[in-house]
Amino acid sequence: MNTPQPLICLLLFPGGLFLIFASLIFDWLDRKLVARFQNRKGPRWFQSIADIIKLLTKEEIIPNGVNRAMFLTLPIVAFTCVMSASLYVPLFGFKPSYNLRGDVIITIYLLSAMTMCLGLAGANSKDRFAVVGATRSLTQLFCYEAPYMLALLIPALAAQSWKIDEVSTYASENTWMIFTSPLGFLVAFIGLIGKLELPPFDAPEAEQEIVGGSLVEYSGRGLALFKIAKSVELLVALSLIAAFYLGGIGNPLIYLAKIIILMVIIALIQSSMTRLRIDQTVGMWWQIGGLFALVQLLITILVRVI
Amino acid sequence: MAEEIKQEQAAVVPKRYIVPIGPQHPALKEPGHFEFTVDGEIVIDASIRLGYVHRGIEKAAESRTWAQVLYLVERVCGICSHSHGTAYAQTVEKIAGIELPPRAKAIRSIAGEIERLHSHLLWLGVAAHEGGFDSMFMYSWRDRELVMEILETFFGNRVNYSVNVLGGVKEDITPELADKLLVDLDYLEKRMKVYLGVVNSDVTFRARTVGIGQLNKEEMTREGATGPTARASGVERDIRLSRPYDGYDIFPIPMVIDERGDLNARFVARIKECLVSIQYIRDVLAKLPEGELNVKFPRVVPAGEAMSSVEAPRGELFYFIRSTGGQSPDRVKVRTASLCNWGTIVASVAKGHKLADMPMILAGIDPCFSCNDRMVVIRDGSSDSRVWTWEQLRQHGIAYYK
Repeated sequence: MNTPQPLICLLLFPGGLFLIFASLIFDWLDRKLVARFQNRKGPRWFQSIADIIKLLTKEEIIPNGVNRAMFLTLPIVAFTCVMSASLYVPLFGFKPSYNLRGDVIITIYLLSAMTMCLGLAGANSKDRFAVVGATRSLTQLFCYEAPYMLALLIPALAAQSWKIDEVSTYASENTWMIFTSPLGFLVAFIGLIGKLELPPFDAPEAEQEIVGGSLVEYSGRGLALFKIAKSVELLVALSLIAAFYLGGIGNPLIYLAKIIILMVIIALIQSSMTRLRIDQTVGMWWQIGGLFALVQLLITILVRVI
Repeated sequence: MAEEIKQEQAAVVPKRYIVPIGPQHPALKEPGHFEFTVDGEIVIDASIRLGYVHRGIEKAAESRTWAQVLYLVERVCGICSHSHGTAYAQTVEKIAGIELPPRAKAIRSIAGEIERLHSHLLWLGVAAHEGGFDSMFMYSWRDRELVMEILETFFGNRVNYSVNVLGGVKEDITPELADKLLVDLDYLEKRMKVYLGVVNSDVTFRARTVGIGQLNKEEMTREGATGPTARASGVERDIRLSRPYDGYDIFPIPMVIDERGDLNARFVARIKECLVSIQYIRDVLAKLPEGELNVKFPRVVPAGEAMSSVEAPRGELFYFIRSTGGQSPDRVKVRTASLCNWGTIVASVAKGHKLADMPMILAGIDPCFSCNDRMVVIRDGSSDSRVWTWEQLRQHGIAYYK
């Protein structure tokens, strides 16, 4: 075979450039929907892309008092993590580019690594807003991560496989998991909002208190990479939920419909709630989220055994 | 040995971790500097530094004529500009011994209530935004736009509408305008009821406001709070009732009281005040007295001094004016409502709130920074001098802002 297929998967389609552009378009969709719900006009369709291009052309300022190597590497690591995660996830209605045993765990791990990078980026800084933001980021990571992970493992458990590919095939052959395990879907979906630090879980970057949170000292390329990583993470994690809970891979059109429906719900939640305090977020996750995930896990196991 | 223990103890004492907010900060659209000492997320101490926009208005008033000062004081605050104008005008009218025609009084109080609507809607948006509830911010500012349009139709300007002249008002409310106003008021009333519902029932919003920044009646009285901030804690303090001015003596207005004293109560109290204002404007429009809009005001005000207060949207606005019988005032002293309410923030901070609550507690008193700006000198006991020369003042200013 002459065409280096893995390279295309990695750099052009479905990963790489296409994924970046698609996720920026979805980022725009999110902004536009929130704006419309708030009775604003919202940005034009290329706004997110333009923002990123502008940031990439800007000078990157390295503030005093940071570990230089870490400051420069963290955005790249974060970006790499989500881009690698995207290879194992069925994007745009196609089968995942790669699969191996246990890629469910790898994907969840890579997506968390991105949040860890965010936390480290804040902790690396001397800025007080960034440090408080990093503390909040990591606190939030510890509270939603366990329920979120359990919620994503439930379909894997039901399908008796650790391969995303096989789980989504199982999901498309059986009743949609959203109906058989609604609690799991709820936890995974809300967990996703927490993971992306979108309202009401945006305490780590609450501009009214701590300006921009962890990324307050980032500018130029570093900030752009983090922003891309975040919007790619949104798309990857949404695709994962769609594949697991909303009936598998399907075709590109069905995929698009599912993702847009999920985006509308996310935008609705974003615009209809007040930001929760970090202690309220933690309380909510451990008291309700954790409980829901465990109950769902128990039910799934029992159904399997019986 | 003892030395070592001492050193160890010194090492154990945690370093004060201060989160600075302002003078340039996304949470504050006006300059003010706050330092919150935090222990993790919990705020244990706060300090406030004001005075970044000191403009020397009181001093500037002394070199202008009586009529010019009216337009100067209207610019103390862009939001309660009518309250400043009214307070100034009625104090000067008191010295000059001039009684306003009833129609002028009624129009002044209508303008005051429209101003209250616009100020409270503005606050509602800002306070919700501080809590991260941007939808309410967008919606309430959209509705505020209607109030701004009303102000423009009636008085010619959106901000600094300048309704007053010394001895009356300059804009009349014609029956056609009144009809249009009534339609707009119906819409606003509907919207205010929606906001009241949101504030009372939204789960996340209540989680962020109920029990936050709570001060009871005694604490509020001790801190000397005024306006809706005090009334939300059950303190019955409203200049419109206790010392009625303008149209409020002809047409009394009911007082909105809430006993709970937390942030949620302040939201509820202000929204209810808007509803009361809407009803009040309707009542006054229905019984608008006929007659002149203003009486002739003399160029020279006789010697004397007077003080009076106005219930501005943020609370009691106090003016003291002294005349020596010339063409311009000898002294104009302004005490704004925001200044009275700062103490409540420090009192709330002492209760150990989270850092995330601070912007909302700050916004809860509806602070107006430009209203606060004055120079304060604390005598240290060593110097007796209380009169400062111009040069001393200048040096102080240079050192302060450096």
